Amino acid sequence: MSFREKSAWIALIAYGVVFGGYFYTLWQGWGDRYAQGLSIGLMAGAVVMLVIIAAALTIVAALFNPKAANAPADERERTIDLKAERMASYTLSIAVVCLIGALLAGWNGILVANLLLASLVISELVKALAQIAYFRAGA
Amino acid sequence: MPIENEIRRLRFEHGEMTQAQLAERVGVTRQTIIAIEQNKYAPSLEAAFKIADAFGVPLEQVFRWAPK
Repeated sequence: MSFREKSAWIALIAYGVVFGGYFYTLWQGWGDRYAQGLSIGLMAGAVVMLVIIAAALTIVAALFNPKAANAPADERERTIDLKAERMASYTLSIAVVCLIGALLAGWNGILVANLLLASLVISELVKALAQIAYFRAGA
Repeated sequence: MPIENEIRRLRFEHGEMTQAQLAERVGVTRQTIIAIEQNKYAPSLEAAFKIADAFGVPLEQVFRWAPK
């Protein structure tokens, strides 16, 4: 497995675990607290956790193969990255358009902000999954 | 992929050159050489010329157009 495929797995795990936990906690406490905007601390904590987990896993992966970690992406890896990025951007664009509609329809602003965050997370998951699929398929 | 190649045979004829050694000479990852060798990825013209150069043969002795 190449270093960049490992990076995609790391992104998938880090985003899945951290924001899975974040949205589960938000869901559990939505009626009591978070609908009024008290999720900022939770959100900041999730971002910090994401950075820590992703950095730690990337460092471990780099320690096993420092040469590959320091090498620039080759043409196939760049192509895979572009294809995955395109799929992620389609996902995010569709979600943003839908959420603009939700705002205009009078949805709770905190809810829309969290749905926007969920869209960002989903687009990152789509990117990581697409990268893994392309790496597994060959291109 | 409608592009076939002779990389496996050429590696064999060049002293069992490893995929890692070829990757090093071409400037790509070993996984990319594997993908090219298995006809799963069509390399850029530059990478194709570098592969041919690594074996010291013309491009057409490494790759051929093989539409299904």
